[in-house]
Amino acid sequence: MKRLVHFVREAVANIRLNRTTTIIAVATTAFTLACFGVFLLLYLNLRAVATSLQSDFKVVVYVQDGVPPQGLSELHASLKTDPGVQALTYVSKEQALTDFRAQFPTEYHLLQGLGENPLPASFVVTLAPALRSPDAVRRWAERLKSAPGVDQVQYSRDWIDNLTTIVGFLELAAVGIGTVLSAASVTIIASTIRLTLYARRDEIEIMRLIGATGGFIKIPYLIEGAMLGAMGSVLSLVMLKGGFELFKIRLGFPGRFLGIDSGFYFFSGQMATLIVAAGLLLGFIGSVLSVLDLGRAKP
Amino acid sequence: MIQLFHATKYYDRRPALTDVTLQIDKGEFVLLMGPSGAGKTTLLKLLYCATSLDEGQILIQGRNVARIRPSAVPYLRRTMGVVFQDFKLLPKKSVYDNVALPLLVQGLSAFETRRKVMEALKAVGVDHRKESRPAMLSAGEQQRVCIARAIVNSPIILLADEPTGNMDAELACEIVELFRTINARGTTVLVATHNRQVIEQVGRRIVTLDQGKVVSDEGRGQ
Repeated sequence: MKRLVHFVREAVANIRLNRTTTIIAVATTAFTLACFGVFLLLYLNLRAVATSLQSDFKVVVYVQDGVPPQGLSELHASLKTDPGVQALTYVSKEQALTDFRAQFPTEYHLLQGLGENPLPASFVVTLAPALRSPDAVRRWAERLKSAPGVDQVQYSRDWIDNLTTIVGFLELAAVGIGTVLSAASVTIIASTIRLTLYARRDEIEIMRLIGATGGFIKIPYLIEGAMLGAMGSVLSLVMLKGGFELFKIRLGFPGRFLGIDSGFYFFSGQMATLIVAAGLLLGFIGSVLSVLDLGRAKP
Repeated sequence: MIQLFHATKYYDRRPALTDVTLQIDKGEFVLLMGPSGAGKTTLLKLLYCATSLDEGQILIQGRNVARIRPSAVPYLRRTMGVVFQDFKLLPKKSVYDNVALPLLVQGLSAFETRRKVMEALKAVGVDHRKESRPAMLSAGEQQRVCIARAIVNSPIILLADEPTGNMDAELACEIVELFRTINARGTTVLVATHNRQVIEQVGRRIVTLDQGKVVSDEGRGQ
């Protein structure tokens, strides 16, 4: 316990001793992490939109005209017991006509000219989450097309798939950019710790000579690096939050956008904690790189 | 306690110590004499592993220093107290913290640390300056603090490199008396000096080095 207090005290003393380099290191780390944070926010929000769209995704199974009531019941029963179907709504021919009239009142006269109701009955199917991938949907639809009483199976998820692809690319880019910016943070913190080590080289030598182990000498610098990383990430979160709020005010976003619940989200508490932990870890890695050779006794 | 067998050390291919064979027993007080550049400091540095041996062997309490693992060096150093010519005190720490450092490194309790530090500071007569920074002390006081740090963990060997350098005769006398007291408690003391007054005052075993070689070893067993 006494040692731990000593290590933390030394780390804080180092930070206070090299105030200017500390401020520069924390600010640079904060800017670097903030750049990554902007990207991460964009990715998380787009992913949320894609997920929301995917959960709204529906398949329409059109029923052949003239299918007897028993055939319709059998089709209904087979869809209801299908493990791939999460929810099912039957839309009768009459209901389809009413919906059409409500949605397209000016075009309704076109149907009237035909005499008989040309709109087919249908089942609106919400697929289970496991079947929402493009391949799974295609396989499920192909299988259903050959079922008795089914005329057509329609779904349009091209643009959802495109969005999912974009999110996938963003994910890859996030990993790439994250790696580069993380390396930059590690380098910045490593340089700061190296400057501290240089400033305190005489003290380190004295510590060695009185019998301090490498660990005893290194630990305060590891703590210092971790503290710099954590401070940088907290500052980056503050900057991001400020920028985020400003962005929302400037754009005056409505509650919904393109029919999707588009309220932009900031990092959750858990995510923010993870970012601070990541900053702490990056700082720790930076200081580990700096102190690798430190404290090694020279017999 | 300390044994050197044909110990040789080169700096840039120039021999600093050549074929030195020496034995120092437990509880001895040995003065290491010689002009500047004779190899006194090099010999001490070899003993506390601040530099490596090029040829020969050095045994300290039966441990071969030439073959010691780097990770074991700190533990060997903890059995020794070293008084450096340039004091090597941490400028930003108080006298108390400087002296407490070897105990902190060893993980002693706060209570034990306080007891031992105060005891060491009293022994060298600077307990009243425990809150001061080294820069606020005179050279003599700094030397005493350095000695207090060297003896605080009751080492079995005390090495001192020119401990009376740049000191007036009266102060040098006090320092030598301090070493005699420490030696009387059973600590093996090895002092490198070229101060004639110290040699006359101590009157014990004197090993003389010149150009890296032992040229005389007088008064062994005294």
